[in-house]
Amino acid sequence: MLVAKRLQKELVKLNEHTPPGITIVSTENFQEWLMDIEVLDGNPLYQGEKYRLKFVFSGSYPIEPPEVTFVKDATHPIPMHPHIYSNGIICLDLLDRQGWSPVHNVESVCMSLQSMLTGNTKNERPPGDDDFVRRNTQRPRDISFLFHDNSV
Amino acid sequence: MAHLAEELKEKGNAHFRRGEYESAVTLYGAAITKNPRNPLLYTNRANARLKLEAWDEVIDDCLKSIELMRDNMKAFFYLAQAQLAINHPNEALSSALTAYDLCVHSVSQTSSASLISALVVKCKRRKWEARERERLRRQSSLLAELEDRLERGACDELAALEARRAAGEVGEVEAAEERDEVSKTARTKLDDLRSLFAIADPSKMTKREVPDYLIDNITFEIMHDPVVTRNGHSYERATLIEHLKRSPTDPLTRDPLHVSDLRPNVALRQACEEFVESNSAWIYDW
Repeated sequence: MLVAKRLQKELVKLNEHTPPGITIVSTENFQEWLMDIEVLDGNPLYQGEKYRLKFVFSGSYPIEPPEVTFVKDATHPIPMHPHIYSNGIICLDLLDRQGWSPVHNVESVCMSLQSMLTGNTKNERPPGDDDFVRRNTQRPRDISFLFHDNSV
Repeated sequence: MAHLAEELKEKGNAHFRRGEYESAVTLYGAAITKNPRNPLLYTNRANARLKLEAWDEVIDDCLKSIELMRDNMKAFFYLAQAQLAINHPNEALSSALTAYDLCVHSVSQTSSASLISALVVKCKRRKWEARERERLRRQSSLLAELEDRLERGACDELAALEARRAAGEVGEVEAAEERDEVSKTARTKLDDLRSLFAIADPSKMTKREVPDYLIDNITFEIMHDPVVTRNGHSYERATLIEHLKRSPTDPLTRDPLHVSDLRPNVALRQACEEFVESNSAWIYDW
């Protein structure tokens, strides 16, 4: 009930004004949205690429965070970043249960991810990426990340 | 006697949980005969009768229960639902507001706050609809009367013209021209009148936009009972409590925040109420 109304309003706002570098791809229902983001400054790591984000909303959104991952397809790679695993799972405090706040929204999450990429200079995956990607069968919400590094 | 009543109540509760509302009502009734002074027996029976949609009996039970215990949130909550069902939105709203007040002032601000708050909104909406129906009825009867007079005036003019033609005072061609003129003027006047009434309709006048400062940043809806946090931001009480149950932090600053830190934002609540009052149906669907 809460989730549908809230997402409807987010959508109206996004349709009125979408921030630069953010594109709405699909928002047919109130369970799953797809958004594209681009990094607009000159960061050579991400130039000319578009990344696709999948938002999965639970019935308790926005009290609970949405599940946000990058999805890979022929035209959308997974961005290189020491906090983004090659299977698209993102390690960002604001998407974690502890770091989430209900005043965040789809737009603010997209913008946070844009700025997370903008500020990055390391062309690398998180430590143990191969291992994590091979073994991980958990959904992002069930993983407890350790936020040991807040500088990136 | 009291423990017998208690036993019967427990049995009634078991039936209620299984969805057997009729037998639950009977069991609560038997409990009441054993101990007619226990207000909870009446609210339990009211709840079962609510499920059976026996509205008048729900109201009786709730009033009896409130008589025995005045600060009776559940009784007011059930009462409001029954009053709404029998189309008494004014009474329902005042009961729902009493329930809401009791709920937010109780020590354990339970999850009922959001339920009751939703009921309050529903009552307000129904009250507005009733008022709007009345207004439309009044307005349309005024419009109908004015239309009638305009049409009758035109008819009288045409009849006079016909009499003059019959008496040979005006020629055939002249009469036909004048007839057209009279009909045209009458039609224009009617159109003008109708568009005047349409413009005066407030639902067409208002700009359908809610200012940001009246909107709760969690639900994105207009607030009904805003509370202010220590950093000065306001949220809808029921939803903020929902967030604080999960994480006792300020949604913006992440500083520790507890229900006891919240203060009602009275001026903002009045601004919200005034805005809702001065706008029409769309605000409830917004």
